[in-house]
Amino acid sequence: MPATEKNIIIITSDGERFPVERKVAEKSILIKNMLKNLLPDEGEEDDDDDEDPDSDADEPIEVPTQNVRSAVMKNILEWCEHYKEIQFPDDEQDDESKKSAPIDPWDKNFLNVDQEMLYEIILAANYLNIKPLLNASCKVVAEMIRSKSPEEIRKTFNIVNDFTPEEEAAIKRENEWAEDR
Amino acid sequence: MQEPSNTIFKESSPGPTDLDLELELGSTNNYSSHSHSHSRSHSHSYSHSHSHSHSYSRSQKQQAVVSDFLNSHIVTDEVLKQPSSHHHHQHQHLSTLPITINRNSLGAATSTAITGSSTVSTEHKYCYRHNPNIRCNRTADERKMTEIQKQLEKMPRRDQEAITHVWSIFSAAPNQHRSLILQGLLTQCCFPQLSMISQEVSQLIKIDFIETLPNELALKVLCYLDCQSLCNAAQVSTKWKKLADDDRVWKYMCEQHIDRKCPQCGWGLPLLAVKKLRQQETVKSRKRKIEEVEEEEDSLENLPPRLDDTKTKVMTEKCMIQKQMRKTRPWKAVYSERYQVERNWRKGVYQIRPFLGHDDGVLCCQYDNGKLLMTGSYDKTIKIWNVETGELIRTLRGHTRGVKTLAFDDQKLISGGFDNTIKVWNYRTGDCISTYTGHEEGVTTVDFHNKVIVSGSADHTVKVWHVETRTCYTLRGHSGWVTCVKMDPKSGTIFSASEDSTIRIWDLDTNKCLKTLGGIESNGHIGQIQSIIPFTVKDTLTTEVDDVVNSPSDQIHEEQADDDEELLDIPNLPTHLLSASLDNTIKLWDVKTGKCVRTQFGHIEGVWSIAADTFRIVSGAHDKLIKVWDLQTGNCMHTFGGNVSPVSCVALGDSRFFCGLENGEVKMYTFDTCSNSGVTTSPVSARARLVGH
Repeated sequence: MPATEKNIIIITSDGERFPVERKVAEKSILIKNMLKNLLPDEGEEDDDDDEDPDSDADEPIEVPTQNVRSAVMKNILEWCEHYKEIQFPDDEQDDESKKSAPIDPWDKNFLNVDQEMLYEIILAANYLNIKPLLNASCKVVAEMIRSKSPEEIRKTFNIVNDFTPEEEAAIKRENEWAEDR
Repeated sequence: MQEPSNTIFKESSPGPTDLDLELELGSTNNYSSHSHSHSRSHSHSYSHSHSHSHSYSRSQKQQAVVSDFLNSHIVTDEVLKQPSSHHHHQHQHLSTLPITINRNSLGAATSTAITGSSTVSTEHKYCYRHNPNIRCNRTADERKMTEIQKQLEKMPRRDQEAITHVWSIFSAAPNQHRSLILQGLLTQCCFPQLSMISQEVSQLIKIDFIETLPNELALKVLCYLDCQSLCNAAQVSTKWKKLADDDRVWKYMCEQHIDRKCPQCGWGLPLLAVKKLRQQETVKSRKRKIEEVEEEEDSLENLPPRLDDTKTKVMTEKCMIQKQMRKTRPWKAVYSERYQVERNWRKGVYQIRPFLGHDDGVLCCQYDNGKLLMTGSYDKTIKIWNVETGELIRTLRGHTRGVKTLAFDDQKLISGGFDNTIKVWNYRTGDCISTYTGHEEGVTTVDFHNKVIVSGSADHTVKVWHVETRTCYTLRGHSGWVTCVKMDPKSGTIFSASEDSTIRIWDLDTNKCLKTLGGIESNGHIGQIQSIIPFTVKDTLTTEVDDVVNSPSDQIHEEQADDDEELLDIPNLPTHLLSASLDNTIKLWDVKTGKCVRTQFGHIEGVWSIAADTFRIVSGAHDKLIKVWDLQTGNCMHTFGGNVSPVSCVALGDSRFFCGLENGEVKMYTFDTCSNSGVTTSPVSARARLVGH
């Protein structure tokens, strides 16, 4: 691969190096902002080859992400790669229609991982500030909770019921109104 | 770029192990607040030692071998390269480990005391499973350990030693070694063994997301749930209850559902503001009430529009009630109350209260979503009722023939009758303030906004009365009785319906007819139209034209915009229009294209009256039936029979609807929950009787 293309090197907590295109790395707003500070001249452009005559452009930039281990980063970058041509709005206030939209089928399949990986993807997406991935992964967790009885939820996540029988009965009564829709 | 560490485990990496994501969960939850400015340097001080001080491993010394093995999530030590750093790293295994792995970066074995260790500090970063501030959710391990212990004890001593030795090696190994050991073991496994591993692993990797995620992320997850799932989540554990009952989650739920249909679950909840407000206001003077209403007027523009005529009023109430709610009640309670009312609507759980007093057929009624119901009748009177008590507050006399139409707001009531007049009343005193004459036949419909009154008449005309300038314009065009007029001040238009089976849209400024809706080519009514409601929706309505529900973001019928029909392009024009006709149908119109996009069948005789809000349409017809329809889908939700006489008028509130019958009966159907139902017999209303259904 030409160095001009994959000139961002993401280094994970366990020292693995992932060379990626800038527009892939910039799916992470954290990295995007960091690159903006490091390379103010390059501006927002995402173009590859002849985007910048500056000599800096050829030199790979190392981006350490000490909070993400390589197995997780591999997944994250796969997601970024898939969406590299899609522009997500940077700002936080995504409109409500998106919030209530069902999970994108590709995302759903992509996030069909074990709970530990899902957990780490959520934390990494939060840390790297990749909103659409964070939203999708939180939705996946919500889907794991949805339409389950309290006992089924406990089973799904291996949770100990720490209520006394009296408490449990009282809380059940408190929430009965939502049943039987 | 990684320097080898000078430990006995040379490959020991400075990174965390797989269980060891560098989290700060217990402390600040501020995962994203790390400084990145200097993170390109490898000398970043991730002091990363782990405290494996499980209390239960101490208590289980009798199972020392197994428990040590299972508890020793061995974690690599970090190598601090900053010269100023204190060079000590230790593993604090309080239980006896098969292999002692205390060591420092210089390779010299040390036995650093637990106490006085500077690594046990706030800088300490735990793997989330070992953060003492978080309850570890792997209690099932104990059972498993006992099981393993038992099986182990059954074996010959030699085997026990060998197995324990394998475990010990593994437990002492740093992460990279462990991965390698595991990978090696996996290659030796046959399919049944792999299957066993696969099953065990799927049971083991279970994470209590809600408990272990930072609170704001846990709340984010919960916000994606529906109310029933949230209520189930609240019953899972103490921590889940705390988060699933959180006011932020339920406020979001309320925002998603109250007075709008949630696109995700298809439920919308009524405002229910007024009733509560009235209860709180009973002690206040009327003057005070009006002042408050005026005060609130400013904030109205920010709120979504309502369908009925009483929107200003209702929205004012909404502001006020939300203010009060926020102070006094959890959002979950607010949601719960409305949810139960909505469920009663959907399930058809209601009570009926009759209002007895009219001597002849009821022709019109209006309800303000508050305390007042007003009815007009062939008996020439207007009656004002307290819906909470059933009490008749006042009877207004003045019309010399039947009262066909009325409209009221906070201050005034305007009525029209078969005596060809329009009357303006101060309904608080009962005085008739003024009478407008001009129509040559009965006044069949009135509407007003500020100082403009619009009326329709059996003389086929619409008249616009500008009270302040004392001018009256006559709009001609209809070729039959005008049965319904609606003003839309926002767009400066008037909608009129007629027995000529058409609907006309007029410009309030120029008094010109902008468009006529109807005709076979538009799929219009084939009978006299009796009632219309212009409104604006953001939600997608189910229509026959598309036959499929558009995604919410789609503009409704935008594709149709290119046909030959002249399109109305007026800012703020209502997007849709409902009409009811004596051809037994209710139709939904796309105002922009002027086409009927949905026809609701079900009544078997002419529909005299409809009312609608954000969620529902209620219709009353000559077949003596009242039907409640889902506004979005057009499906009939309920049919209410039991009337002895045709239904001539209906009115709709958040938790109730009203009907007036040709035999003089007036009834309220209330869907309130029993506990807060306004339907209770009161000493002042001897005539009101609660009829359970």
